[in-house]
Amino acid sequence: MSSSDVRQGDKAAVVAQGQRTPKKERQKQFLRLLTPVDSKQTAIYGVLGAAAFFLLWEVGHYLTPEESRRFLPSPQHVVGTLIRLIEEKNFLADVGISLYRVIFSFFVATVIAVPLGVFMGCFSNMRALINPILSGWRYLPAASFIPLLLVWFGPTDTQKLALLFLGVIFFLVALILDNTEAVEKSLVEAALTMGANRWQIVMGVVARAASPAIVDSLRNMIAVSWTYLVIAEIVAAQDGIGAVMMRAGRFLKVDIIMAGILAIGILGVLTDIAFRLLAYWMFPWNRKRRG
Amino acid sequence: MTPQSNAAITAQNVTRKYLGGSFTAVDDVSLDFPEAQVTAFVGPSGCGKTTMLRMIAGLEDPTQGSISVYGEPVLGPGPDRGMIFQAYTSFPWLTALQNVEYGMKIIGIGKAERREKAERLLQEVHLGHAADSYPSQLSGGMKQRVAIARTLAQNPTVLLMDEPFGALDAQVRWEMQEMMIEIIEVEKKTVIMVTHDIQEAIYLADRIVFFTRNPGRIKQDIILDFKGGKRFPQKEALLAEPGYIDVERQLFAWMREEIQSG
Repeated sequence: MSSSDVRQGDKAAVVAQGQRTPKKERQKQFLRLLTPVDSKQTAIYGVLGAAAFFLLWEVGHYLTPEESRRFLPSPQHVVGTLIRLIEEKNFLADVGISLYRVIFSFFVATVIAVPLGVFMGCFSNMRALINPILSGWRYLPAASFIPLLLVWFGPTDTQKLALLFLGVIFFLVALILDNTEAVEKSLVEAALTMGANRWQIVMGVVARAASPAIVDSLRNMIAVSWTYLVIAEIVAAQDGIGAVMMRAGRFLKVDIIMAGILAIGILGVLTDIAFRLLAYWMFPWNRKRRG
Repeated sequence: MTPQSNAAITAQNVTRKYLGGSFTAVDDVSLDFPEAQVTAFVGPSGCGKTTMLRMIAGLEDPTQGSISVYGEPVLGPGPDRGMIFQAYTSFPWLTALQNVEYGMKIIGIGKAERREKAERLLQEVHLGHAADSYPSQLSGGMKQRVAIARTLAQNPTVLLMDEPFGALDAQVRWEMQEMMIEIIEVEKKTVIMVTHDIQEAIYLADRIVFFTRNPGRIKQDIILDFKGGKRFPQKEALLAEPGYIDVERQLFAWMREEIQSG
């Protein structure tokens, strides 16, 4: 083989390689790590996700054999039922009762849990005193209190409120304790070196610094409160969304049960949005910088 | 060292032990800090220099020994000893201006005086344009400027700084150091600063106390005579000063000794 042959061969190899590997470009992947989506894309994805869910539901409805279709009514039927309940059965009164139960019990839980959690988060000896006895309660299912609450309060509104309260209070205290302890120690030390007293530090520094995280905890826990609503209204309740659903269950009216689930879902999302707006309005200093 | 009558701060036989006495962070340290002197604590990591500073601030108590400020024993933190931390401690829920006012509010300065003084101090730390910004809108260097202004606003007799520029990038650190020179010149306070940065120590301080590690003792206590009592608005002027390089070389040599002995 002559030297020119070798060179020829090399050239050919280079050309061939050039053809095999296309020009290198950063791949446009569908799933890319650490890549934010803008608000328009977020909205599109959200609508797509919801549409897929309702489509699946719709398909499920039509795949169900004719004779049992009423056990899986179509989405539009459930929405229709919800509207009919509101127009003909005074369902909004039940919604109001349920809303009142969730909000009132949650308000009472908040009024107790926030000071208690902040107090324990600020003073380790108080945490050592209170937290051990408190944390055990979190492992007891709230429903297990129903018999006791029925004996104590009877089938009253108080019994329902108490159940909803017990369902969230222990978690709420634990979360707010965490939020408080997560406050940077250096903020407290800075305030101390400026001569702030304990009260000024607890209220003016620790509680202030922890407040966005606390409102976040409240937002997450009110969702739990909504999940306990049906349990609270199943037993010995005449009114409320849960009671309506239980009555419907007795007559196999699946569309009404599903309308109730839908109503709770909508209310849950609304309370979530309310808390987000509250946080946005209360903490202008904590808003994420845009762009 | 014998206590001097003009000392702003006196530490006598101060020892600080941790872990039930099994670790000695500061071991029998006695120091006097004359009024208006700028002292830098330098030494390897874990040599107790920050612990010493925190004890002067009153954030920690000595296990043995005592510290006094103008003859008054230190029993806890107080606004007579302003402290600037490495971590950003400007309160995120207050604007820059409100942050500077906070300290004055705590010590009971009236609203009008507060506002006027806060505005002036923000100018002094070159932050007048950002008075109404929240800390989340400020860079790290700007947050430290807020913290410095807030501390100065209380007019403390002593300024304690715990690696105040340690979290900043090199350029911003340099700008902050030159700003500190201006502040030291204007405010004439007794300053104690902890730093890892040897050049920073030589640039800002009149005196360097070099700590040994485990246990934390004073290895050397030197006055930076070569500066002839001058302070240099521009850092490169210091580097050109005869004698500068000898001090820097000496400090690096001590640092190496300490690291290798550990």
